Amino acid sequence: MSEAYVIVHENLLCWLSNLMKSFDVFGPVKNKRGQVVFEPIKNADGLDLDYCSTMLGPRQFIYPSRQTLFDIDRETGKSQTVLPQQTKKRMIFAIHPCDMHAISVLDRTFVGDFKDVYYGKARKDTLTVVLNCNQACDSGFCASMGTGPFLQLKDGFDIVLTAKERNYLMEFGSERGKRVGKKADGLKKAKKGDFTEKKRIEATAKQSFRKQMDTAGLPELLMRNLDHPVYKRTADARCLGCTNCTMVCPTCYCYNIEDTTSYDLKTTIRSRYWDSCQELNFAKVHEGNFRSSREARLRQFVTHKLATWVEQYGCFGCIGCGRCMTWCPTKIDLTEIAKEIQQDVRIGRAR
Amino acid sequence: MRAESINPLSPRTAILKERIAETQDTFSLRLSLQGDGFNFRPGQFNMLGLPGIGEAPFSFSLIDKQKRVLVQTIRQAGNVVGALAKLQKGRKVHFRGPYGNGWPLEKLKGKNVIVVAGGIGMAPLRPVIHHLLKHGNEIGAAYLLYGARTSTDMLFKDDLARWSKKINVLLSADEVNEQGPLQVHEGLVTTLFDQLDIRLSDTITFTCGPQIMMKFVAAGLAMEGQNPRDIYVSLERRMKCGIGHCGHCQIGAKYVCKDGPVFRLPDIRKYADTLL
Repeated sequence: MSEAYVIVHENLLCWLSNLMKSFDVFGPVKNKRGQVVFEPIKNADGLDLDYCSTMLGPRQFIYPSRQTLFDIDRETGKSQTVLPQQTKKRMIFAIHPCDMHAISVLDRTFVGDFKDVYYGKARKDTLTVVLNCNQACDSGFCASMGTGPFLQLKDGFDIVLTAKERNYLMEFGSERGKRVGKKADGLKKAKKGDFTEKKRIEATAKQSFRKQMDTAGLPELLMRNLDHPVYKRTADARCLGCTNCTMVCPTCYCYNIEDTTSYDLKTTIRSRYWDSCQELNFAKVHEGNFRSSREARLRQFVTHKLATWVEQYGCFGCIGCGRCMTWCPTKIDLTEIAKEIQQDVRIGRAR
Repeated sequence: MRAESINPLSPRTAILKERIAETQDTFSLRLSLQGDGFNFRPGQFNMLGLPGIGEAPFSFSLIDKQKRVLVQTIRQAGNVVGALAKLQKGRKVHFRGPYGNGWPLEKLKGKNVIVVAGGIGMAPLRPVIHHLLKHGNEIGAAYLLYGARTSTDMLFKDDLARWSKKINVLLSADEVNEQGPLQVHEGLVTTLFDQLDIRLSDTITFTCGPQIMMKFVAAGLAMEGQNPRDIYVSLERRMKCGIGHCGHCQIGAKYVCKDGPVFRLPDIRKYADTLL
């Protein structure tokens, strides 16, 4: 059995507080409006470890919504890569398994055949600590997507915690995770019983889901039914084209690049910011706009997350966090779209 | 310096040697490359740009490896082109690339070739014609079918006349307002299909132009007996990165920037949001 420990709550918080001296720590805290958000934290007491879901996942600390790419000297034409400057190492604490899976999904885009140096550096410099979910959240369906409620990854993260009745089980996904984790006081070697308890909690957590989706054969089914009327009906009646779904989605990676020039015209900052396939002009070229209808844009979102992503990256682009439907002003739910098509196939109304 | 060499978004510089006015709304930039790496292939593209303005994808209309010269032919549209059009000779241009797969020239060996170009779509196909002229003995019959809005809008008119001595050059325009050394038929490019005198089962087609044109080119050739798998299309999409990260150019599971811009017709037609 791989190396694992148990640690009591007080010692865990104490360990985290000590780490704040050498790490910038980000974690879930309740803000003034009562929403839980990931923020830089200065002391461990303010953490909300029972949080359900956040509007933005921890993606923002590895792939920020806006970041500088280059400083360009307009007189010489020389451009200088601007990498994120950090004096301290960083740690994201209490990432839910779906969001950790989302980061591993993003890795396939940004550190695939072409390496994005900005993402690569932030990812490498950030320690990830996962906290397994003992209960399903309101609109989550991670169990259906194979991304929760307990972490399914073998690597690509550093530490994973499971809240047990009296203490936490601490397991590791990397050597550096082990090094940092073992600095905690009061660690006790995990025993067989601790793993049995973990299994039991996971089984109970899996039972608590209210939302499900059948993913068997789903990509092929969606690709056979690109002309299904659900897209047009839903888009025309409900999609406002607000792009919320793609802003909160933890696997969305699209960006736009923008140049900003100083008033003296001497320097240009080239930066990028999150863009969205739901934006009207996203696919527009001189020849025309290839997704000018909301129907086409909604279909792009649904089929990318649930079908073509699999062909591109060998995994779903949806990790079942439920954010897109939670933050959609009209509650468009991609699982309901998929279910309608599946239902139509069953009764012979679709292919 | 290290960051620049491993950062795929980091631009290199080229010197603008000459700006050539091609037609009323189209010009070519003759770029001389410094430094290492001259590995450009027909059908690939560069992200050309200027600091403060931005970058946009443009194909190569001439690749001269010996002289380390690239020609990029560009039609007036948008900010980046507006700034490139005003650039003085001798100034620096930023570029990244080459990106994309390019035309599969190796497939042409022993086959007949039809090149169908529409409007500015002639630009990325010009290096293909250069290849056909150079390797004519390895290739069967070769046709260039080129359609434009008006005969005045036709690109590379001097080249066309020269090429017609070695390969079959057939021209069409929606509106014939002037006649050059080669006859221009009035009508769509598909009306030229009557003049093809080859077995289409042994033929490879490369086409680039408006998607609606390519749709009818493909339909017409399929009707004449060509296998759609032997038809290659080059697509235009919005691009910001060129390396499959920014997401703009996606068609289904394909990134036009890194999986394309050249696709076998059936491989790309199956997805949503193309006109093919």
